[in-house]
Amino acid sequence: MIELRDVTKDYRLGETTVQALRGVTLHIKEGDFVSVCGPSGSGKSTLLNLLGCLDMPTSGMVLLMEKDVADFRDSELSRLRNNTIGFIFQSFNLIPVLTSFENVEYPLLISKTGKKERKQMVARMLDEVGLSKFAKHKPDQLSGGQRQRVAIARALVTNPRVVLADEPTANLDSATGHEILELMKKMNEDHRTTFIFSTHDAKIRGYASDVYTISDGRIVQ
Amino acid sequence: MNTLILAIKNIFKNRRRTVITFLAITSGMTGLIVFGGYMEFTFMGLRESTIRTQLGHVQVAKKGYFEKGLANPGKYLIRESESVERVLARMPEVKLVTSRLTFSGLISTGERTLSCKGFGINVAEESAGDMNTFETVVDGQQLDESTGPGDGVVGVELMKALGAKVGDYLTLLTTTIDGTMNALEFKVVGVAETGSKEYDSVFVKLPLPFVKRLVNCNAVEKFMVLLNDTDDLGKATKRINGLLATDLQGMEYRTWSELADFYLKVERLYRGIFDIIIFIVGVIVLFSIANTITMSVFERTREIGTLRAIGTTRLGTMRLFLTEGILIGIIGGIIGVVVGIMVAYAINFSGGIYVPPPPGQNRGYLAMVLIVPQVILYAFASIVGVSALSSLYPSFKASRLKIVEALHHI
Repeated sequence: MIELRDVTKDYRLGETTVQALRGVTLHIKEGDFVSVCGPSGSGKSTLLNLLGCLDMPTSGMVLLMEKDVADFRDSELSRLRNNTIGFIFQSFNLIPVLTSFENVEYPLLISKTGKKERKQMVARMLDEVGLSKFAKHKPDQLSGGQRQRVAIARALVTNPRVVLADEPTANLDSATGHEILELMKKMNEDHRTTFIFSTHDAKIRGYASDVYTISDGRIVQ
Repeated sequence: MNTLILAIKNIFKNRRRTVITFLAITSGMTGLIVFGGYMEFTFMGLRESTIRTQLGHVQVAKKGYFEKGLANPGKYLIRESESVERVLARMPEVKLVTSRLTFSGLISTGERTLSCKGFGINVAEESAGDMNTFETVVDGQQLDESTGPGDGVVGVELMKALGAKVGDYLTLLTTTIDGTMNALEFKVVGVAETGSKEYDSVFVKLPLPFVKRLVNCNAVEKFMVLLNDTDDLGKATKRINGLLATDLQGMEYRTWSELADFYLKVERLYRGIFDIIIFIVGVIVLFSIANTITMSVFERTREIGTLRAIGTTRLGTMRLFLTEGILIGIIGGIIGVVVGIMVAYAINFSGGIYVPPPPGQNRGYLAMVLIVPQVILYAFASIVGVSALSSLYPSFKASRLKIVEALHHI
């Protein structure tokens, strides 16, 4: 369902140009639980950004459900990210002024889901991540693990086809990290949602069904 | 609705910054309301004094008088004055109708002679209808029922120049309607001041019959109509328009505003100054809100990246920050209106602001601050407009951030 064809990505860093990706081709199938591994600076984040339509490749093609994302306008990409792709971030990135409930609700507000349906979906999602009791808490009243659970609920509430998680466990202790991966795996199985997560932690990658190792902007295995 | 709630939450997240922004807006608004109210008070005072000492609300005269009458008043005299007066006095809005017959000539103590402008008034009507409210008698008394047919009131500066005092007999010298010289003596019963130095150094006020005798003609130049309330002017002129076709044929009228050149110039000047002050306050508010929103965008760059990643459009992002800026303007503006009105009341309660004599005047006065809804609305609308304007650019910048860069912003 997601395909990269000979994708390169260059960044300008001051005077120099950094080649973050140097010709990546890969194909991720529906329902996969994929891990992208590699040391920091290897191009994992860049790869995930391209998969999530947050950025455009310098050359090559990104195909999402057989469609070239380069053909989409910015507003169409926004809609695509809203209802087809879910994001989980390393530092959780919850909206600090909103409660857990409101954070999870936010993507549904963008997609203008009806109020009654919206409330039901959010409540069900919070229940699935085990945070029903924390619905009225703001992010700064939650632990790191809880925040990441809220983020997972937010990523999945729109019932997306794919969830992208960039180093989802890097800011968590290893026990909590394993819990988060367990939760993601469970979601992958329950919802048949494709998961792609990046990590540099060898212990975590064991959860994945497919592992791509990336080094110096190339997939090495 | 959802944007609005999020904007409110964000505004009150950084309380200190928001409060400082509110303070800037509130002090600006208070300044505008107090100055605007003071300005309106000045207009009102000047308007009423112009109407009551010099013009009346409406003046009625023979057709052509207002254009050419000054050079040749004899040609436009109203001889059927009693019937015209009766018609005007019947209108329900009218408080008082009086007539004027003016002359210019010389005034003399016998030793010293100066030029003067004299006018005859209907003593009984005018003293009953407070036509002289704004003319203060500084020595002696005003013309009223107790004064005689040969008594007059003279401007304070003119009296000084003549070296005369109350009780003296002065001689007036002028040409009559038919061009011969005539002189009459009158007794000074009062010295008065209007606040205008120029006017105080020429005017002589006398009973109408005395002036009629002096210029040897039994007519008047014009009628001055004083209304119960300046706000009734529209109704009154409508009625007079109707009368011009019937009872007042061959006559025309002017409203006070068409005659009060000085007042209109002062009003225009003040309104110009007020706009400049609004502009200055606007610039301060502009920078204040622009700073707040820019800081907010900068601090929340990663949040913007997140919002964009989960599907917020560029327009939605822009709308969020724009809403915050406008809300700050609206809330600050409302606080400003409340505080401004309170300050205005406090000033009025403490007795007003002492204003030294304006140029050409010899009396200072205590200014009050009028609470005028139009002024407050004007100031409020300007501030809200400015707040929208000042958050436009930072909001636009926020909507154009590159998502990937925004997400990695620390």
